[in-house]
Amino acid sequence: MNHSVSIEIGSQIIMLLAALMLVLQLLLVVQRMLLINIRLFALQSLMLTAIATVVAYYYNATHVYIVAVLTLVGKVIFLPWLLNRLVRRINIVQEIEPLFNAPTSMLICGGLTLLGYLVARPFTTLHKLGNNTLAIAITLLLTGFFLMINRRKAISQVLALLTIENGVMLAAVALTTYGMPLVVELGIFFDVMVAVMVLGILVYRIRESFDSMDTSKLDQLKG
Amino acid sequence: MLLTPILVIPPAAALLCLLVRSRRLMEGLNMLAFAATLALGIRLLHEVLARTVVTEWKEFFYADALSAWMVLLISAVSLGSSLYAGRYFRRDLAAGVVTAGRVKEFFVLTPVFATGMFLVVLANNLGVMWFALEATALSSVLLVALYNRKTSLEAAWKYIMLGSLGLALALFGTVITYAAAVGQNGNGRLPSFNWSHLMTVAAQFDPRLIKLAFVFVLVGYGTKAGLAPMHTWLPDAHSEAPSPTSAMLSGVSLKVAIYALLRFHILTTQCLGTGYSRTLLLGFGLFSMLLAAPFILVQSNLKRMLAYSSLEHVGLICAAIGLNTPVTIFGALLHMGYHALTKPVLFFAAGNIHQTFHTLKFRVIGPGVVKVLPVTVLFMGLAAVAAMGLPPFGLFYSELTVLSGGFAAGRTFISSLILAALIAAFCGILKQLTRILLGARKVERANDATAWDGVPAMGLLVGGLLVFSVWFPEPLLQLIHQAAGIIKGKS
Repeated sequence: MNHSVSIEIGSQIIMLLAALMLVLQLLLVVQRMLLINIRLFALQSLMLTAIATVVAYYYNATHVYIVAVLTLVGKVIFLPWLLNRLVRRINIVQEIEPLFNAPTSMLICGGLTLLGYLVARPFTTLHKLGNNTLAIAITLLLTGFFLMINRRKAISQVLALLTIENGVMLAAVALTTYGMPLVVELGIFFDVMVAVMVLGILVYRIRESFDSMDTSKLDQLKG
Repeated sequence: MLLTPILVIPPAAALLCLLVRSRRLMEGLNMLAFAATLALGIRLLHEVLARTVVTEWKEFFYADALSAWMVLLISAVSLGSSLYAGRYFRRDLAAGVVTAGRVKEFFVLTPVFATGMFLVVLANNLGVMWFALEATALSSVLLVALYNRKTSLEAAWKYIMLGSLGLALALFGTVITYAAAVGQNGNGRLPSFNWSHLMTVAAQFDPRLIKLAFVFVLVGYGTKAGLAPMHTWLPDAHSEAPSPTSAMLSGVSLKVAIYALLRFHILTTQCLGTGYSRTLLLGFGLFSMLLAAPFILVQSNLKRMLAYSSLEHVGLICAAIGLNTPVTIFGALLHMGYHALTKPVLFFAAGNIHQTFHTLKFRVIGPGVVKVLPVTVLFMGLAAVAAMGLPPFGLFYSELTVLSGGFAAGRTFISSLILAALIAAFCGILKQLTRILLGARKVERANDATAWDGVPAMGLLVGGLLVFSVWFPEPLLQLIHQAAGIIKGKS
């Protein structure tokens, strides 16, 4: 019975960490400084790493440890460093100009969180470790979409995409008990890395051609 | 060993292209690689007919009739594209539109792009399939941005953003599918995430999770397939990419995404045993078709119009599969093949026109292109007649097959809608192309084009189209029947 008690605790820890991911997401939505946004994303990825570690510990699953290490190296250290470098290199204005102001954004995200919980409700009865994280994963997805619409700067759109990716990985780690098979996790990991590099190249070229990173200037193609 | 070489040859060619300096050699390597995969694809066809499925590396790679059909399409279109690319880029280089470095980028990335597509259709693991599809998106986005014009960067940005969003959703759907499969398995460990394994245990999946998963997968892979209303990246990317890339995007890349969608469709149908996924496919397919027709009619840009025509064809394929009778599914698969042979020719011809007139706008090109580029217009006319669905070309038969299957199954209303959309698209393409191709030239332009530009590539594909329109080899027919059987499932 000792085992089931520890599972209970593990579940609570995962829930707590997932909730922190959501809180960080909301901070991302209202934070206007680009560099701080990148740090918030790194912190959110750190929470994901912690969740993977907890899952790996409770199920004694080696390959989830590998996932945790990959997340730590890739999303907590490498990608934020890369984005930071990009921001400094192209010397952009730091402040993001969102479409909606902070209170409105917060209100919309609150609504989206509610929606996430509604969608996930029928599935939260599965008796597994961290079974309530599906709602948070869906919420991360939805708020990520909102973040993407709300931001004009190319790099902050990339960040929004990465938080959506974090949401999907949260679902992968927590919802499926052991996470996805290792080959899939590795594939996803490398894809995300390459994707950000490709996006970086594009951001750089857009910056060179348009003298700006404002994606609302990309409006010549219509119909 | 048959599947492994298909997946090894193109990346090897890409690697070699990275190392060599001569552009001729790069062209040759590309062509050689795709000719080899085409030959291997034909061997795979016979193997699949003999053994039903071919697997390698402990079932990591898996090919059934559907995969073999896709391998043939990918190889044929890629071969056509690489045949055309050499000539095309030499003219671009002469005109100073691209740099030598960018051309190299093209010859390196194109085999990578094709490898991604081969991996999508040969991977057994659904997660690996996702990973491969993302790889195709990432390699093709740099191809779309190749010209580095403002508009091509805009198109690339929209493409990568929408594509990545779609793929994130598809990944979510894949994860949920995995969860649905694990859910019933007491200890929470799935022996494998292979499609072939999932099919054997599909009946025990959690139906609610599978339903949720399919919606995500449909929207996700549907974005990559260009289904409306997620299609908005499609005309931009197709019109801004270099013509050989447009041909590959439209000719096979869209269909590869549909292939991924189909794998989930088959799985969902196997699990639920109902019309859930096929109704959704039918809805999205019909909507795409109906949306495409008016847009074809109002386009002012040649390649954008062709992109919307692709949207219409993709819609037809989805709708035909959604109708879910053996006849319509057969028609859909046939349509994939014929469309893959037709659309690249149109894009190649559009490329020639673009390079000669330095614009794609109908109004600027003006009437009477036939006086300037007679051979190009001949091929374009043939391909356009085919794309409109007129006899004697194959697309006429495949469209007729779909329609007759639909009417025979008693889906009169839906079949009539499909027919209406087809007729509308027919009128649209006819009106737009006659505007520029025929008639007398009003403005004389300096003509730096040689008449035979791109003829080998266009000739190969149009020739193939004509041959297969009148004579369909028995093994190929059997293959499509088998593939249709896989999609139809047991129910």
